[in-house]
Amino acid sequence: MDSVQLAAILAGTIVLASVLSVEVGLSVALIELGLGVVVGNLFNLDANVDWLVFIATFASIVLTFLAGAEVDPDDFRERFGAAVSIGLVSFAGPFVVAGLIAYGVLDWDPKAALIAGTALSTTSLAVVYAVLVETGLNVTRIGKLIMAACFVTDMATAIALSAILITPNIWFPLFLVVSVALILLLPKIAPSFFRRYGDRVIEPEIKLVFVCLFGLMVVANAANGQAVLPAFILGLVMAKHYQHHQEEQRRLRVVAFAFLTPFFFLRGGLNVSLGAVFANLGLLAVLFAAKMVPKVGLIMPLARRYVPDHATFTTLLMSTGLTFGTISSLYGLQAGIIDQTQFSLLVTVVVLSAIVPTAIAQRWFSPDIEAEREADMAQSDAPRARPASQPVPAREQA
Amino acid sequence: MTPYVFDNVLVAIDGSEGAQRALDCALSLVERLGGKLTAVAVEGKLPAYAATAGEVDEVKQEKDRFFHRVLEEAESQARKRGVEMKAELVPGHAAEVISHYAKAHGHDLIVIGHKGHFLGDYLLGSTADRVAHHAHCPVIVVR
Repeated sequence: MDSVQLAAILAGTIVLASVLSVEVGLSVALIELGLGVVVGNLFNLDANVDWLVFIATFASIVLTFLAGAEVDPDDFRERFGAAVSIGLVSFAGPFVVAGLIAYGVLDWDPKAALIAGTALSTTSLAVVYAVLVETGLNVTRIGKLIMAACFVTDMATAIALSAILITPNIWFPLFLVVSVALILLLPKIAPSFFRRYGDRVIEPEIKLVFVCLFGLMVVANAANGQAVLPAFILGLVMAKHYQHHQEEQRRLRVVAFAFLTPFFFLRGGLNVSLGAVFANLGLLAVLFAAKMVPKVGLIMPLARRYVPDHATFTTLLMSTGLTFGTISSLYGLQAGIIDQTQFSLLVTVVVLSAIVPTAIAQRWFSPDIEAEREADMAQSDAPRARPASQPVPAREQA
Repeated sequence: MTPYVFDNVLVAIDGSEGAQRALDCALSLVERLGGKLTAVAVEGKLPAYAATAGEVDEVKQEKDRFFHRVLEEAESQARKRGVEMKAELVPGHAAEVISHYAKAHGHDLIVIGHKGHFLGDYLLGSTADRVAHHAHCPVIVVR
């Protein structure tokens, strides 16, 4: 099959995923991942052609940048100690436990075990965010605490993944210098650049972001590493800017969701071997437990301390995973650290961890929004509750 | 037997044809019987298991815009017919929210369309069925 035929099949799959997403109310990413599994196993498509690897890799960096840019720094400041405690434990527990189980019990290579630990330690801010926004809890103290803790876990994951994937060489100092320079300069350059050149159909502001991300990828490649951590931090330092220029962020998302991220998630699905998953259901259960047991066991005591009324809800949401788990697994596969069977198992566990704890939390442990708003009103430093009749901006500015 | 008094009516709307018929019915009832009318629109499901918060934001903003147009249109219809109506947009799952809202705000009648917008209405049974099952007060399901 030539590149154009492959592209046509994938383009058709992407359209189908978008339509299904709207009709069934599931995220387009999850459907792309699922359809990738289906078409990959049905047509035996090659997920490793150069152009697809290139687009998917760039998409993963753009996704990482967007994940950083979606963090609301004010959420983080409000309950710093609690967010750091829960977020760090949420990362460290499964990272250590899943890593040790993969290494000691499943007999994976040390680096493959580290990839397993990273992929299974993640928490999905996006999955959590959807639950919180849908119920209106995103503007309450408990919602903000959970989102801030997710950010801490995301940050720890980005650090761990970068550390695992890098084999420093003489270009490493240049990678550091360029990363720091871009992180310092872009937020300073962006306002005037966007003011002068922004709001045009040729989108110079998006191209500026992309060239910065490509720059990071170039020096990261030269240094035998990946640009995950600097891309995440670059997004983070741009978060405030995007809060005040939401149309710019929206256009960046349009470009990312329309063309880039579908190829990332489809490629993730194409690399999943259903045969490998069904042949290793026992391992799948072990890996799922290696994520969920330490998450629940270690987060619950902290959640009981910081959010005693909703400890189970908080714990379950912190046990989700999707984007960073998929990125970690795909990077591990691409670097030759894990094989296709290991990748298939890890991605399946990641997807299960997006669905199972979320469904349980929503079905049985969702807090009463009115009670939470009243509790917030009682706190002197709490934000004013918004009447239900007013529009609630999804990313309400605190 | 205590007579039913419908002086605090709740109508559920979602921009569908069924909801429009429910609104017409509720407006007619309140025109004849008097009392208060509240229209509630439930901003239902966001994309579950999203990969980025941006995906959630975009859908949320689209829903905000859509449902505010729906509520404004309903208010306009009520004004034209001389009925005083309160309109609210609330987040959550439609059947659950409508039943809870009615109980919490002391409504004594719920008016709802037979089929709404959601694909789930066709696959899993309608929101109206579930509201009728869970509501604390009488429910009129309008065909």
